[in-house]
Amino acid sequence: MPLDREDLAKLMDKLETAEKFKNPNRKRTKRRYRSLRQVLRDDEKRIQQKRDESKTPIANIVTYQSVTAPPSLKPVKTYCDITGLPTNYRSPTTRMRYYNKECFDMIKSLPPGVDQQYLALRKANVILK
Amino acid sequence: MTTDTDKETPDLHDAAQEVLAPRKVYKMKDYVEPKQTEPFKHDWRNGVPIVIDLGRHTTRVGMAGMKDPSSVFPSITSHYKDKKLKRALNMVGNDVLIDSGVKSNMKNPFDGSIITNWNSVESILDYSFLHVGVDSRDFVESPVIMTEPLVSPFQQRLGLTELLFETYSVPKCTFGVDSLFSFYYNGGNTGLVIGSGYNSTKLIPVVGGKPILDVSKRIDWAGRQAVEYLSSSLQLKYPYFPSRINDFQVENMVKDFCYVSNDYQHEVSHYLDLDNLEKKDITLEASFNEIVKQEKTEEELRQEEEKKKQTMKKLQEQARERRLQKLLEKEHDYEYFTTMETKLKSMNKKEVVSTLREAGFDDDKDLHNYISNLERSLKRARNQDVGENDASDQPPSFDLIDIPDEKLDEEHIKEKRKQRLMKAGYDARQRAKKEKEIARKTAEEAAKKDEEWRKSDLSSWIAARRKRLRILKKRRKDRIRLKEELTDRKSRASQLRMKNIASLASEESEGRGGRKRKATNVTIDNDPNDTFGANDDDWSIYRDIAKGSDSDVEEEYEKRIYDLEEELLRYDPEFTINDTLQAQYSWKKSIIHRFVRGPRDWDPDEQHQQHQIHLNVERIRVPEIIFQPSIAGLDQCGLSELCEQTALKRLPSELGFSGDDVSSIVGDVFLTGGCTLFKNFDSRLRLEFESFLPVGMKFNVRRAEDPLLDTWRGMAKWAVTDEAKSSYITKKQYEEMGPEYLKENRMGCAHLL
Repeated sequence: MPLDREDLAKLMDKLETAEKFKNPNRKRTKRRYRSLRQVLRDDEKRIQQKRDESKTPIANIVTYQSVTAPPSLKPVKTYCDITGLPTNYRSPTTRMRYYNKECFDMIKSLPPGVDQQYLALRKANVILK
Repeated sequence: MTTDTDKETPDLHDAAQEVLAPRKVYKMKDYVEPKQTEPFKHDWRNGVPIVIDLGRHTTRVGMAGMKDPSSVFPSITSHYKDKKLKRALNMVGNDVLIDSGVKSNMKNPFDGSIITNWNSVESILDYSFLHVGVDSRDFVESPVIMTEPLVSPFQQRLGLTELLFETYSVPKCTFGVDSLFSFYYNGGNTGLVIGSGYNSTKLIPVVGGKPILDVSKRIDWAGRQAVEYLSSSLQLKYPYFPSRINDFQVENMVKDFCYVSNDYQHEVSHYLDLDNLEKKDITLEASFNEIVKQEKTEEELRQEEEKKKQTMKKLQEQARERRLQKLLEKEHDYEYFTTMETKLKSMNKKEVVSTLREAGFDDDKDLHNYISNLERSLKRARNQDVGENDASDQPPSFDLIDIPDEKLDEEHIKEKRKQRLMKAGYDARQRAKKEKEIARKTAEEAAKKDEEWRKSDLSSWIAARRKRLRILKKRRKDRIRLKEELTDRKSRASQLRMKNIASLASEESEGRGGRKRKATNVTIDNDPNDTFGANDDDWSIYRDIAKGSDSDVEEEYEKRIYDLEEELLRYDPEFTINDTLQAQYSWKKSIIHRFVRGPRDWDPDEQHQQHQIHLNVERIRVPEIIFQPSIAGLDQCGLSELCEQTALKRLPSELGFSGDDVSSIVGDVFLTGGCTLFKNFDSRLRLEFESFLPVGMKFNVRRAEDPLLDTWRGMAKWAVTDEAKSSYITKKQYEEMGPEYLKENRMGCAHLL
């Protein structure tokens, strides 16, 4: 249902009444955007600073970063990159995993670049920096 | 040979194909277009806490103490400019989806589970307060309770408190982790909380109502990543899909058709088996405008056909005329040079040399060569359709030809010339006809002989046919292999090809110039000077240098194999349909066909099938990633491994846990969040716990009553307790102690150092 111009104007009027319960004396900043990387870097810096300031050593700090699950210790099971079936074969040229000859033939006939897209699905693609 | 019999009896290749019942086709579900804009509620009461569950996917807003949230809407905003009204505004939630123009600019304020765009969050909060019915002036006169990520970075909380206290001047606020509120609402006290929502999966052990954040962990995989993963896999699976599959559609696929497998390794290995596929494959069709072919009336069709035929005939006539002209010229040449050759025999050496020179030949051998080539090309030309379609077999009258020119007037001379030409043409046609007749007869005889052979000695006939088939198959295979090798620049085949091309180029540049041969209309096809092709092997050079891309040759091989197989199918009792090339490449045997096109044959011209996708392995592969993040290349351990490590190793001994006795905590394994709605999620976890816990240890896995809404309900319930009242930070405290001041609560709002 596309919005009617009249309805839209009414809706906008209504939405702008939000101004009534906002602090009229607040500081208004224009763009407020902080990327995830910035936030995490700031957090790390802050903790380092706290550590430096503190007289007694601080152990075991729980942070957003530290609650990330650790890498797996179990052997990794491998699957065909095309069909998802379990396999142990890997193409020597593209490093893609394949289930059988038919999949291997398909890998060989993939247009250039597509093999990297398949690998990107499991973050095994080559990233040039 | 076989073409005649083909028409009489049905094609044996096709006769073997069984007819399968059509598959159920599901429509690809898109997002639900809201029928109206988000309704404005009047639930707000002065001083009653406002409860906001600001999720990565959905925001739920309502008043504390109520049973259900007042508004539930997706956490999206869109900056919308209306040129006619000359107004710009951030649209939020369902209002974004109502208009496709607004939707196209859709944004989400998060990156991961972290808020990055604070302007959008402010819009969402405006919208939330407005729709819940806040009616105070210059400030929001209610405490606010909000969700935050597990162990939120300081910046996050700072942003939220700043926003709440400075922009809305709320009197007090507090925060907590979503899964813990859900656990609280479902009456949990001690247990292992697993919250898997839209952005991340959390594992939080809770003892006596208090979360142990030291050993809590987060896996960066949940609904959103699953949708992204399925979306990119589908793009690779169907690279030429005619329409774009959007994230709403993929999300619906994940919700409706994905399920957790209880025994992944076993189930996935047999997923593409035909009988399993028959049960589990899902066919989805995207909506599209069907192009209806216009039906033409019989009369129109007939007329069209007629028209086509006539133009065709005309063109054929013209082409034939041209060919005939050329043929005549060649015949003339042939005659001329043959008479010259006979004349040469009676001349002396000197004369021979001079005549040859004059005509542009090196010696008599050269002349002979030239003549034999001419003869060959004549034969070829005659074999073309000259003489066909010639209705009148009666020779036209050539009465003027034998009368000498002197006895005729000018007009008759012209007529005579014409008649001469016609006669030559007629003769040529007759000769051509004869040759064709001979060829037809030999072919007929061969067929007859073959049939006799078959009837008298079937076994040897079969053996011969089989041998021929074998040879053909081998040749075809060799071609395919060659083609493959040619794609590699360093392979032997590629090197040979380059060599051939180089040698061909050098031959061409040698040049022969200066000949005055009487060869008119010399093209590459009919240049008699060219001895190329005198030996049949000459042609193979093209095969050698062609990159093997000419599909004609392959098709021809396939056709010949097909014909041979037809014969064998008919007469050889031991040759069955399963031995044919077609059966070898049948879709039933192709794992990729079954994966991409499901358990039915595929017709690439059928419009519906063009717009269909199949979900099969993905149905279990996508949810499996939470148990095996390595499938998606995520270097974190899976959920069951994390549970094992946490339950058996990480739990601190100060709280009385040792590796052997964790029964109190595994006695209540609690699941909440949208991802736990996958079918079998709980039963799979039950199996996993059974496998790593000591034998006989009792445990219980339960799902939240409503994994989506219980978080909000828990917040609404908790917000009015005395405990909550004591954990609010007031505006005064915020102003006095600064943004770092915090009161911890047992809902995961931890002191961040």
